[in-house]
Amino acid sequence: MLETCGLLLFRLFAFSLIRMIELAPNHKYGLPLPAPVMPAAGVFGYGDEYRDLVDYTCLGALVTNPVSLHPRRAAHPPRIAAHREHLIVHTGLANPGLRAVLREHRASWERLPIPVIVHLIATTPAETAALCEQLSGARGVGGVELGLSEGVAARQAVALLEAAREGDLPVIVRVPFSRVETLALPLAQAGADAFTLTAPPRAVLPAGLSSDAPDTRLYMRGRLYSTAAFPQLLNVLARWARRLDVPVIACGGVTSVEDALACLELGAAAIQVDALLWRDPALIERVARGLAAPVVPAL
Amino acid sequence: MACSVRQYISDNPYCISSLSITQYELRIRPMSKQHTAIFREACPEPPFWAVTFESPHPPAPGCFVLADFGGPLREALFPAATNATGFTAMLLPRHPATHLLPGAQVDLLGPFGRGFRVGAVSRLLLVAEAALLPPLLPLLEAAPAVALALEAPTRARLPAPERIPPAVELHLITQDGSAGLLGTLEQTHEGQASLAELLAWAECVCFSCESARYPALAAQMRAARLHPAPDFAQALVQVAMPCGVGACEICRVQTQRGEQHACTHGPVFDILDF
Repeated sequence: MLETCGLLLFRLFAFSLIRMIELAPNHKYGLPLPAPVMPAAGVFGYGDEYRDLVDYTCLGALVTNPVSLHPRRAAHPPRIAAHREHLIVHTGLANPGLRAVLREHRASWERLPIPVIVHLIATTPAETAALCEQLSGARGVGGVELGLSEGVAARQAVALLEAAREGDLPVIVRVPFSRVETLALPLAQAGADAFTLTAPPRAVLPAGLSSDAPDTRLYMRGRLYSTAAFPQLLNVLARWARRLDVPVIACGGVTSVEDALACLELGAAAIQVDALLWRDPALIERVARGLAAPVVPAL
Repeated sequence: MACSVRQYISDNPYCISSLSITQYELRIRPMSKQHTAIFREACPEPPFWAVTFESPHPPAPGCFVLADFGGPLREALFPAATNATGFTAMLLPRHPATHLLPGAQVDLLGPFGRGFRVGAVSRLLLVAEAALLPPLLPLLEAAPAVALALEAPTRARLPAPERIPPAVELHLITQDGSAGLLGTLEQTHEGQASLAELLAWAECVCFSCESARYPALAAQMRAARLHPAPDFAQALVQVAMPCGVGACEICRVQTQRGEQHACTHGPVFDILDF
């Protein structure tokens, strides 16, 4: 009994101390996060896959793997290629579809100590609206992140955003790396609650030798995850973070507390850690705890 | 209440997530799967190098750990031998691990996956391509009678015979006929099923081959055994598994039950799933 009372008092004390990061200040419900660090879409699974390796309580949110309305099959192998410190990934955005994801993970989302941001992939406004409708009322879901394909036209992107905004949840738009110039302002004007800058750029790497013709080298095209993306991320943030009226989440090549601080200095409101955490799952926890440390390291 | 991140950092010197004080935190956190192994030795065992690690959590046969050797991705290590203090993995010559100094620390994640489930059988058949044999080595003495069907392109690619215990019945198949039968695991050069007799003899079969070959091997098994028990024939799938926890979607394999993650649903599957 005494222990329970003590816990309650401590909880009240902690709540009084802590102020949240607000990722959707213009949304009716908002999207308050307890910390400014989260995994990027596509690297952390749908729920508690990393529960044995990462302390979720130090994160701000969980961004799920991409989810579509209908199941999507995986791309043909190879799906990953590594070269020096660079990774190319092409999964085909495989996922079991939103209905199956909800069936399997809804219960764990309710138990998680952080809000879940569901990353949606859709090609039409109708699909986007259907996805958001299925998500409405799902406990534990704090917002959606709308993934856009590299070749999307500005008008189509705005239509997708408008369909997503018909739902109850705040909408974060993840802007393709090469499309920030053309999409950021129209999407901000169309009511995006926040932006993720940026989706990983596309790149090509050697992917071994062909099994049919052993003298032929194969090349693979996909999303680039690399520390080399970090300076490009800073370039995007420096140009865009303060020009947009909504919060910006920085994503791309963050590997340390210093990197995260640089992003915040350039105007980002939060950080996403991408596939570099596959090698070092403790990275995301280190960055989160580092940002929360009493003494902020000098840049 | 909204605030800037700078303000957040300066205002919250002891920032614990407010939501951390929840029911979630009261649950017992499982033991972390990240630990450090000590490199002990590396010695050549052609065509591989046997690399031994001291580890508090050695993986079971067919399970794996993800080792950090400094590249952008971790590497899956399957045990070729295990004991109470660690395990041995077979790696290719010039692998970075073969250059480590004894006592060097290697960061491991795992063990992960579902391994071989052999149980108390008296007749065990192992089937492998020579290049993918190492994960089956811990099973060479897992039953009173063990037979090993081993395929290689040519005699030179076969492992040293002394690596195989004398009690193991060895069936060699080479694609050029330089040792054992001429043919492949699927069929001899005369067009007969290479494994028919062995599949009829065995009480349990473990495969380690390229996963593209499993449908043909499963068909051969169906022809030899009418209604095999679940897990009668198990197949190890060796594909890239960067995260080990089913998060990255890279190790998806197509099975009869839809796409599954090799790292969590496998990497050992019932071969009839293919």
